[in-house]
Amino acid sequence: MDAVTYPNRKVIDFIQNRLVPLQLASDAEPYATNYGVKWTPSLLIIDAEGKVHHRATGFIPPPQFIAWLLLGIGKAFFEKDMFGEGLECFETVIAEYSYSDSAPEAVFFRGVSQYKSTHQIDGLKMAYRVLQEHYPGSTWANRAYPYWLLP
Amino acid sequence: MADKVEWVLDYKQALDRAKIEAKFILLDFFNPQ
Repeated sequence: MDAVTYPNRKVIDFIQNRLVPLQLASDAEPYATNYGVKWTPSLLIIDAEGKVHHRATGFIPPPQFIAWLLLGIGKAFFEKDMFGEGLECFETVIAEYSYSDSAPEAVFFRGVSQYKSTHQIDGLKMAYRVLQEHYPGSTWANRAYPYWLLP
Repeated sequence: MADKVEWVLDYKQALDRAKIEAKFILLDFFNPQ
């Protein structure tokens, strides 16, 4: 990450503008134990109370990393019931990083966020359709599978 | 514009900054060796 991803201009700008970057050694206690760190890099999106909202283990290249960060920020908003703010993040992942590993999960959470904020099932049904069409082999297509049964 | 990621190296300081700036935190555990 230090050799390739963190020196990337877009990654630097994104992190500096959108996040507080915190780096700790994997043997820094009690944090490593509290966050269950077993391998490096361990990457987490946490909130100001220290709660984890998104995590990954291993190297992530620059464009994928920005998508991963956006997804994590979106999930953090989602878990704080800030669905509008989360939706903006998911929409950006889908629009600008549709090729990324994070995109199918963003489609899923966009649908769920739309449902949570409007109580209309259209968002869930659209998530199912988009995942089946664009990411049919993904875990998130499977997780959205029940939504095709909605009326 | 920063030339590199300006890491905070203290956990509590990062949490305080996140509260003040209304941001989430990217926490990177790295291999110190």
